[in-house]
Amino acid sequence: MFRVSSGEYPAKLRWPRLGQDVAIVLWPSFLVASFATMVCFAFIDPVLIGNDDYPPPGFTTRMSGYAVGFFFFWLVASLSSLLTLYLVRTAQPEPPGPDETDANRVRSSE
Amino acid sequence: MSDPVSTMDGGLYAARQKIYPRDINGRFQRLRTLAAWVLLGIYYLGPWLRFGGRQAVLFDLPARKFHIFGLTLWPQDFYFLTWLLVIAALSLFFFTALAGRLFCGYACPQTVWTETFLWMERLVEGNRSQQMKLAKAPWTADKILRKSAKQGLWLAFSLWTGFTFVGYFTPITELARLIAHLDTGPWETFWVLFYGGATYVNAGFMREQVCKYMCPYARFQSAMFDRDTLIITYEEVRGEPRGARAKGVDHKARGLGDCVDCTLCVQVCPTGIDIREGLQYECIACAACIDACDHVMDRVGYPRGLIRYDTQHGLEGRPKRVLRPRTLIYATLLLGLLTGFLYTITHRNFVAVDVLRDRNALYRERPDGAIENVYNVKILNKDGAAHEFRVVGSGLPGLVLDYAGPTVWVGPGEVQAVPVRIRVPRGALAGGADIEVGIEAADRPELKASGKARFIAPSG
Repeated sequence: MFRVSSGEYPAKLRWPRLGQDVAIVLWPSFLVASFATMVCFAFIDPVLIGNDDYPPPGFTTRMSGYAVGFFFFWLVASLSSLLTLYLVRTAQPEPPGPDETDANRVRSSE
Repeated sequence: MSDPVSTMDGGLYAARQKIYPRDINGRFQRLRTLAAWVLLGIYYLGPWLRFGGRQAVLFDLPARKFHIFGLTLWPQDFYFLTWLLVIAALSLFFFTALAGRLFCGYACPQTVWTETFLWMERLVEGNRSQQMKLAKAPWTADKILRKSAKQGLWLAFSLWTGFTFVGYFTPITELARLIAHLDTGPWETFWVLFYGGATYVNAGFMREQVCKYMCPYARFQSAMFDRDTLIITYEEVRGEPRGARAKGVDHKARGLGDCVDCTLCVQVCPTGIDIREGLQYECIACAACIDACDHVMDRVGYPRGLIRYDTQHGLEGRPKRVLRPRTLIYATLLLGLLTGFLYTITHRNFVAVDVLRDRNALYRERPDGAIENVYNVKILNKDGAAHEFRVVGSGLPGLVLDYAGPTVWVGPGEVQAVPVRIRVPRGALAGGADIEVGIEAADRPELKASGKARFIAPSG
């Protein structure tokens, strides 16, 4: 016999809501920022951005350029995550559709 | 449960109850320990390996080149990295379809470092019940000593982890010397602390919450599952109704199943779930419950495998299939990509050329009647050594090249722009034609590349 649990994850083991929210905002944006940093600086040499008589702050050396780029991407992606989370959290609850099952549980075929 | 807020949605600020997984030994735990040793060994020793007079694996960001043993990758080789990421993702799909969350239980950095931190915690605070007792105990000198010893161990290990991480990007022997003299640059210091801090928080405190709330793979892995995927399961028919029993009692006569309800499977679970409830997405497939249950089954003299790796089909008594469309498709794709990757990376061209027409003039007529076009030829040398390059052209009768030759020196990993004048005798063509401009290393003729360019002459 096989069964997919219908039980709830024990409440006492759950993370506080605030912790969940912080993680949901910061973590996916961290992953995306890492990826964006890789792609961006594979094509752009940060010192070329600063190759000027008045380089923008942070672009004077490659290492600081990478770091500034990474944190810029992280910030932008975090803002996007934050807005998404806000929209999801403040949405009006809707009755589940005909095909929707509890998305938190592993799907069982059949 | 005494806290009414925490029984709701976890509450906004309510602290979660810490999970103290009981230590268990068994065949799968030995396998996991082995995996942890191998993976952490690779990670911590990796930057110390030397190859050909330099650090074997060095992602030299300041110089914009990656050294991986004999291989040097330039930013232009970025697509190899993309290719590798695709291969990694596909391998994850393949192994998930085949054997479920193998990655989570045995290889995920979150799991491996959490296990290491748990090991340190046990080392200082004792076993599960000792840890729980210590947590409740008043702050005596002994508790302060133990807690600070644990934190000290964790912090030291985390800092070493951060140091190792940065050692992949900046030569580690140099970094070690700088740290010994407390003379590291601001960014090196920052990244050591950043990565070390992330390790400390993730493995010391967040642990299974990362899998539950932050990991996308945990959410979509079920899409790769089918009825032939290996999962960790409890055989309900055999185990239920569960219950305690005296030794030597014929439990079947009493209407009891094989589960003695010792709850060891719950106590060893690092994510705090009860596998007997059925498959749950919090399960990271670490197989600790299998080892715990096998141990108990041995002691009470029942056959092993009440909790085991099995497939949905297997549990239903139907034949198990490893070869099925899903696994075959993943395997074929994976094999194809891997072959392509290995072929391209071993056969890649170490030089490249970019030919740009000078935009200022279409053409120039020389006093001797020849027609001249000017180009900017960019030579890219991705080889690890400097080379002298010849520039050659073809595509029109009597074509002559004029550049600051006979050869152009290009350093390793450098780009050199060469102005090249190309001329043909009057009457060789009217209008325009495509020509080919190539480069080849004078010392190694197999290092060559070519590009097309437009040659323009007066019409008629």
